[in-house]
Amino acid sequence: MSVAPTSDLSIAPHVRRRKSSSDSFRGGSPLIYGIALVVVAVTLGPVIYGVLGGFRTNAQLAATPAGLPSPWVLDNYLGVLANPAFWQYTWNSVAVAMITTAAVVVFGTMAAYPLARYEFKGREALYMVFVLGLLFPAAVAIVPLFILITQNFGLGNTWLGVALPQAAFALPTTVIILRPFLMAIPKELEEAALLDGASRIGFFWRILLPLSGPGMVTVGVLAFVGSWNAYLLPLLLLQGENKTLPLGVADFSSEHSSDTAGVFAFTTLAMIPALIFFLAMQKRIVNGLQGAVKG
Amino acid sequence: MAEHPVGQGTIALQQCHSRHASVSNDTRHDGSSGTYLPVEGCFIMATVTFDHATRIYPGTERPAVDALNLHIEDGEFLVLVGPSGCGKSTSLRMLAGLEDVNGGHIFIGERDVTDVQPKDRDIAMVFQNYALYPHMSVADNMGFALKIAGTPKAEIRQRVEEAAKILDLTEYLDRKPKALSGGQRQRVAMGRAIVRQPQVFLMDEPLSNLDAKLRVQTRTQIASLQRRLGVTTVYVTHDQTEALTMGDRIAVLNAGILQQVGTPREMYDKPANVFVAGFIGSPAMNIGTFTVTNGSVQVGAATLPIDRTIASNLDSNRVTLGFRPESLDVVDASTAGAFHVEVNLVEELGSDAYVYGSLKDDVATDLHAGSTDQLIVRINPRHVPEKGEIISVAIKPGQQHVFSATSGERLS
Repeated sequence: MSVAPTSDLSIAPHVRRRKSSSDSFRGGSPLIYGIALVVVAVTLGPVIYGVLGGFRTNAQLAATPAGLPSPWVLDNYLGVLANPAFWQYTWNSVAVAMITTAAVVVFGTMAAYPLARYEFKGREALYMVFVLGLLFPAAVAIVPLFILITQNFGLGNTWLGVALPQAAFALPTTVIILRPFLMAIPKELEEAALLDGASRIGFFWRILLPLSGPGMVTVGVLAFVGSWNAYLLPLLLLQGENKTLPLGVADFSSEHSSDTAGVFAFTTLAMIPALIFFLAMQKRIVNGLQGAVKG
Repeated sequence: MAEHPVGQGTIALQQCHSRHASVSNDTRHDGSSGTYLPVEGCFIMATVTFDHATRIYPGTERPAVDALNLHIEDGEFLVLVGPSGCGKSTSLRMLAGLEDVNGGHIFIGERDVTDVQPKDRDIAMVFQNYALYPHMSVADNMGFALKIAGTPKAEIRQRVEEAAKILDLTEYLDRKPKALSGGQRQRVAMGRAIVRQPQVFLMDEPLSNLDAKLRVQTRTQIASLQRRLGVTTVYVTHDQTEALTMGDRIAVLNAGILQQVGTPREMYDKPANVFVAGFIGSPAMNIGTFTVTNGSVQVGAATLPIDRTIASNLDSNRVTLGFRPESLDVVDASTAGAFHVEVNLVEELGSDAYVYGSLKDDVATDLHAGSTDQLIVRINPRHVPEKGEIISVAIKPGQQHVFSATSGERLS
């Protein structure tokens, strides 16, 4: 008799856990599905409309604004792809995004490291400065920034001129994401490295940096996508052949305002690289946000 | 190394390093592995001395470690033991250089290392959670210190492989720590320390993350490995069984103050105060405080005489009396000096059996063992009393410990 209850106890939690997890997958009220559908429709609807619109002619669009392509037309997309200006815009976007990402990852990690792992007076205050940066919209600083970049640094109309301020504005998010990530790396690792003869900088390069890969990917992707979609700063700083894709889209749509289908195609193609990049990295972003190494 | 004050340890150190240098320069391929084998290799022997070492954490009044004086001999295995928060880990970390020393000095050999950087102390530490570098293979983990020190790759490989052989890790050298079991990780942590061939090993509860069975196994392995390597070792644990089984000597700390240092036998047979008496030994010693009347104390039904010289020198009329569970004999109720215990519970361990009971005919004294509120008696496992039964026990002659009721110091 005394055996029965114990075996019961040991099995019970298993059964219960399994049941509850499968419940949560199977279940879910219709209401939740309803809300989810609305959200998906609102976010994806315009995108799908744009993608499909690119496959139609302007005549089709005028006749039935909400219809499906019939017949499907590839001319709009081919036209955009054959346009050398599109490739120039893309190249500029890629370059600016890469420089921004590199700067964000390098400087963000370097800034987050002492904020996470050094004990010094005013550390929290310094961290607050970064947090406050979140509340500081780029639009507010745009005029002084313009003067600073073009006149003081002479970086007007250059990739670097856009990438540097963009990286600076991405730093708060980066530091806020990376700091807890770096803090979670066990203190013993640092002590072991110190005893093994590494300096604090040595620990940073040899232990911390390799371990913060996931976190750096996260902030890198966020910075890349942010830079890819940026409009205001490039608009003020870049002219002519240095323009990035969002500016190109705007230019194109004002130039060919009557060619709605062409604008749809251009816009669709402009967002594809960032979309692919984001989707490819999505899993690692989640990993990065979940925290650092275990053990 | 040249800036060290001259002392025997330092000279040995220099010789050792120069030998290493010459060997590594000209013998890359002749397989002179023996030179690096820790067993016969050039471990530099070193003593460790705490001289009034004190650590006060910022923002606290009471020192975490209060004027610790401790001398650890060359090649000795010293265990620092005490309840949690007693300052044992802090002491170890002070020796490692991971904690500041707020007062006093710490010496390794003749050298004052009080303000020396951890990496310059020539020590290796095994952490409780092992602190293996997760992104490095086992081999890289073990060779990390050598790599930083700029040791040639071939030599690192050689030394790592030898340590791996000792620890039975050879087949895991290319794995990441993640892919190892708890016991293997623990051995890697040991290996990382061995490879460095340091003057002193520091171990901070290295077994507490292992399961009970593995802990007992690894306990003996570490102890025998240490005897083989002959490296001075300071080992921190909260487990007094670990302390008794592993240490050449044991140092018991409580509330930042060193209580007693001695061999396991001394600690067990002659605890210096009530705290050590209660802490060392499992199950714990039965301890109670009694009033002395006419040179004897009343324990239950028994009147036990207190040694005349002790009784006459008491600073109060009370003494604390302690006796271990195995110092009690089950006797006839009529025997002189026998008191009666009601059995509440019997714990059978096969080789032994312990009775947990309460003192009958109690004159409102608080006599209990450790954190239990009961009296513990070891009995013959072949003749186990029933629950509720009353047994008569007497303390074996000369096996009682008498402590001052006021200071807790040992009197007998």
